[in-house]
Amino acid sequence: MVLARRGGIGRYYDVNGWLFVAPALGLIALFMVYPILWSLWMSFQSGRGMMMKFAGFANIVRLWNDPVFIKALTNTMTYFVVQVPIMILLALVLASLLNNPRLVGRGLFRTAIFLPCVTSLVAYSVLFKGMFAPDGIVNSTLQAIGLIASPIPWLTHPFWAKTLVIIAITWRWTGYNMIFYLAAMQNIDRSIYEVARIDGVPAWARFTHITIPLLKPVILFTTVISTIGTLQLFDEVYNLTEGKGGPSNATLTLSLYIYNLTFRFMPNFGYAATVSYVIVVLVALLAVLQFYLARERDR
Amino acid sequence: MDKLVRTHLPRIAGLALASASFLAVTAAEAKEITIWCWDPNFNVAIMKEAGARYTKAHPDVTFNVVDFAKTDVEQKLQTGLASGTADALPNIVLIEDYGAQKYLQSFPGAFAPLSGTVDHSGFAPYKVELMTLEGQVYGMPFDSGVTGLYYRKDYLEQAGFKPDDMQNITWDRFIEIGQQVEAKTGKKMMGLDPNDAGIVRIMMQSAGQWYFDKEGKPNITGNPALKAALETVGKIMSANIYKPANGWSDWVGTFTSGDVASVVTGVWITGTVKAQPDQAGKWGVAPIPALSIEGATHASNLGGSSWYVLESSEEKAEAIDFLNEIYGKDIDFYQTILQERGAVGSLLAARGGAAYEAADRFFGGQKVWQNFSDWLAKVPAVNYGIFTNEADLAVTAQLPALTQGTPVDEVLKAIDAEISGQIQ
Repeated sequence: MVLARRGGIGRYYDVNGWLFVAPALGLIALFMVYPILWSLWMSFQSGRGMMMKFAGFANIVRLWNDPVFIKALTNTMTYFVVQVPIMILLALVLASLLNNPRLVGRGLFRTAIFLPCVTSLVAYSVLFKGMFAPDGIVNSTLQAIGLIASPIPWLTHPFWAKTLVIIAITWRWTGYNMIFYLAAMQNIDRSIYEVARIDGVPAWARFTHITIPLLKPVILFTTVISTIGTLQLFDEVYNLTEGKGGPSNATLTLSLYIYNLTFRFMPNFGYAATVSYVIVVLVALLAVLQFYLARERDR
Repeated sequence: MDKLVRTHLPRIAGLALASASFLAVTAAEAKEITIWCWDPNFNVAIMKEAGARYTKAHPDVTFNVVDFAKTDVEQKLQTGLASGTADALPNIVLIEDYGAQKYLQSFPGAFAPLSGTVDHSGFAPYKVELMTLEGQVYGMPFDSGVTGLYYRKDYLEQAGFKPDDMQNITWDRFIEIGQQVEAKTGKKMMGLDPNDAGIVRIMMQSAGQWYFDKEGKPNITGNPALKAALETVGKIMSANIYKPANGWSDWVGTFTSGDVASVVTGVWITGTVKAQPDQAGKWGVAPIPALSIEGATHASNLGGSSWYVLESSEEKAEAIDFLNEIYGKDIDFYQTILQERGAVGSLLAARGGAAYEAADRFFGGQKVWQNFSDWLAKVPAVNYGIFTNEADLAVTAQLPALTQGTPVDEVLKAIDAEISGQIQ
């Protein structure tokens, strides 16, 4: 065979091989590489609508002087710092509870907790908006059992609006993360737990010293995925606040700000592209940090 | 392989071209005009009426009036314009006057100039001015947003107030009345959406000011009308005479459900108010309350919008002719939409006539149209500029600070800082 004998540099220039991958490469270049490079180029331009001009680093300077951007960044980081740990912990606890083979009806519970993440984002946001209205079911229930005297202004007070968004995304994504943990837990050898039990290790210590270390790669994976998801948070806030990120920009996220800059305000695609690169940089930094923290120390 | 392509390609291309031209021919015969607008009780219903009138004279032209939420219309339009393809866009779109210059300036060439066809001298000058760019007039002026104070006569009567007590009051008096209404009837005076600065804009324009000065520069910290408007909203909030609403439909629900005693907004809400037949005879209309500062009036404007034709649309000629025939000339049409929908048009020739003098039974026989027409003449003219959306968000962002007792001057400074960062 001619092909088999051909070695060295000729192997890399085999036209047939390249022809096979060319369609895929072409599509990736067209729909991935080109938009990424073009948006990078756009982030150095500024102007109104279609009237774009090269602006150098003006957009980056503008970021520092833009109180709305700072607010959106702070909100996004608040969601990330508060919500991701709560959700990961909750998912871990739920997974280990539902992993108990003696639990009756665990299939039902698993389905119930997983279901939120297959519901439509818009549908559940609208539903939440109704449930958390001043005279909605949540406030009337809390009032009926005597926990609160007057309705909580879920959608009109800056603090409670943020809390509501956190409740909403936790409700939706906890089940999703839980499924990863459940799958990983079922791969842990039962005999390890058996040995620990014989040695008299209590249940809590078995969870912290056996389950969690063995789940580490999965925890890392879900943390990175959740970080990306939270930094790109858009749908919930958009639907809960009619796209305004109110009250007082208290729920405004970076993605929603990009949307506003492009589609609601005087359109400035260049500045919007700059803000979107802020998300890219943040995700990259946080992912590196998470990998660093979760590295294998004893190797 | 190569030969195959060479012999078949022309045939394939020919076939594709033939089918494309076939499609184009059928499209040209059907001539459907697609229109985007947002209020089913108002501009959607009016556009359907206008379409029906035009189809009667031109049976080959049909209309597809698409009804979405206003923000969706604006954002879908902006997305379509930004993408540079006309496929997803309608032939005619309704744009609120605050945003007109934004679209005209950021998407040059996207809208068809109507100057040549439509005689704009017959329309209210302020409407024509806001759709003019570099000597060309781009839109068909539609409705005015002259404001009024709609109030529930039955609730106010229970609290001891007669219609005369509602005429030409100040906002301070309005708040006093509101407190008594709540004490006697348990109803709040008004619905208020803390994420909608509409009420601030009404108050500010009633005293002849806007977020921007004549040159379009921000006019915030040294703006007595904006300051007084914010103080008034703060007073309304601390007097707690309002029912909080979250979003437009929620706000509309505050008065359609009968939960509040009054509504201060543009005349275009009349259709929605009248859509509750069980409340017939219970409503009255008065001039809006005035601020207690120099230059304050009882007349203002909120919203108001105009029709624009997309330059790239296939049925451009038909769309322009339709607008000119109905909105530009048909006086009878204006009388109908006024009586049925409460649309105060901006075609000057249509003002007056029987419809304007008619008494409205829904409002207990009050000649409301005459009233609105009188107030319209007194609306102070301001320059909306191109950044009203940005300024509005900056104002709403600071409203809660106001209720927590932050001094108004500091709130104004914060608004100014936010706007300066936004408008570039």
